[in-house]
Amino acid sequence: MPIIVEKLTHKYMPNTDNEFVAVQDISLTIDDGEFFGIIGHTGSGKSTFIQHLNGLMQPTSGSVTVDGFDMSDKKQRVRGRALVGMVFQYPDYQLFDSTVLDDVSFGPKNMGLDAEEARQRSLEAMRMVGLEPEHFAEKSPFELSGGEKRRAALAGIIAMRPKYLVLDEPMAGLDPSGRREILATIDSLREELKCTVIMVSHSMEDVARAAGRIAVMNDGRLYAVGTPDEIFSKTKELISMGLDAPQTARLAQELRERGFDVPQDIYTNERFVKWLRGRVKHA
Amino acid sequence: MISISNIEYSYDGALKKALDGVSLEIGEGEFVAIVGHNGSGKSTLAKMLNALLLPDKGSVSVFGMDTSDEEKTLDIRKKVGIVFQNPDNQIVTTVVEEDVGFGPENLGVPTEQIIERVHSALEAVGMLEYAKHAPHMLSGGQKQRIAIAGVLAIDPDVLVFDEATAMLDPLGRKAVIEIASRLNREKGKTVVMITQYMEEVTAADRVIVMSGGKIAMEGTPEQIFRKGDELRALRLDVPVMVELRDMLVREGLMKESNVLDVSQMAEVICPLLLKN
Repeated sequence: MPIIVEKLTHKYMPNTDNEFVAVQDISLTIDDGEFFGIIGHTGSGKSTFIQHLNGLMQPTSGSVTVDGFDMSDKKQRVRGRALVGMVFQYPDYQLFDSTVLDDVSFGPKNMGLDAEEARQRSLEAMRMVGLEPEHFAEKSPFELSGGEKRRAALAGIIAMRPKYLVLDEPMAGLDPSGRREILATIDSLREELKCTVIMVSHSMEDVARAAGRIAVMNDGRLYAVGTPDEIFSKTKELISMGLDAPQTARLAQELRERGFDVPQDIYTNERFVKWLRGRVKHA
Repeated sequence: MISISNIEYSYDGALKKALDGVSLEIGEGEFVAIVGHNGSGKSTLAKMLNALLLPDKGSVSVFGMDTSDEEKTLDIRKKVGIVFQNPDNQIVTTVVEEDVGFGPENLGVPTEQIIERVHSALEAVGMLEYAKHAPHMLSGGQKQRIAIAGVLAIDPDVLVFDEATAMLDPLGRKAVIEIASRLNREKGKTVVMITQYMEEVTAADRVIVMSGGKIAMEGTPEQIFRKGDELRALRLDVPVMVELRDMLVREGLMKESNVLDVSQMAEVICPLLLKN
């Protein structure tokens, strides 16, 4: 069942002089198996929003339902939360055990699984994220590279077999190859585990490439939800909101402003080349 | 002005050398970008520039001062200031202007002069109106600008940005890069920009590519970004517009050029569209 968010509003310090509305009147549905991207600048409410998806935060008003569980109900929240795996920004700072395997097993053990089951799931999760247990299981987390640490953190969450995987800036701080590899891993996990991926990212290029649908947040409100084609056809608006549209979308917009008729769905290099080829040939 | 001569460095207990025979000259007023994959040694190199780390072998000389000479450490740090990755770790007081004044105060700068320096440093990063604010209420990008102002208030000749944009959003990143370019252009500061974002090095005079503790490539951004395959083999990439340029050249739609960013690309594409 999907995640259903209805009229979600979250106020910090409500009914005081310092009241701050972080998220206002958000309604959306995230379907099973989707790769759902969330974009918005710092302070747009993205982090507050995703913390409602596993009940870390409670709405001031409105509701969040995860797989049919009402997250405002204490008992249902426990069951809903167990389905949502959250990977926070810079999860590698959260590695602390003496071996990678111990670290990955921490979550499943905490769920109350017995040692052997936790171990099996952890080994399987390590394989899925591309950390071959034969090589990595007994290593110290401190010996891992930036990208490997990120994978270890991801494996720890995967080992709990979440139905929904919520990722906050999973590629931050990685080199360009590391970014590509983690993004590819996330997408293959979605296929293999049939889980829903909800990813917050500042990188428009990454979101444009990976997400099936994108939510744009601005000043705590949902500005738009749609496919990358729909969202990046609003490049002009995105730029005026202080968001970073994909470079190729910016180029298309720049050409439009100079009076050329560039179609709205051009925001990747591949599409740009194809369009230019047709344009130059047919003229 | 900064002269690095064949330095080596290993962290305690590490099997591989973090720096393995690096030599580099940085001239006055230069804007040098240092890029490299995670663990390539670029941040270690940055920390060599103001004696935060000392080489195991080889030497680093800053304005003629050897960084291993302990008596010179303070003088070196007055010359070379570093802005680090995490803005939260660089803010020490509860009011912005006090935070910016912290460095010069520690160096014994007279009070009137501190006030002046804090004012001009905050002005340079566009944060003057926040002088009386509490740093913890600011965004990451704003905090990083305060951290830059704090380094500027020491009035160094060289500014080192050690992945100072890595934790910021696109707007915050852009602001930091613009400030760095402006300080280089208008105030003649030497800038050393360490980053993983290829888009951020297009404004540099020179790009140094690190890999495995060594310098793997060196050249102008135009020269470096002609070698996309080599960069990708080093776990890096080219900017999106360079990728597009190379695709268009391969397709025969565009002549070889030095296009690096969106506005340059638009300049090249427009005549093509007008002709056809």
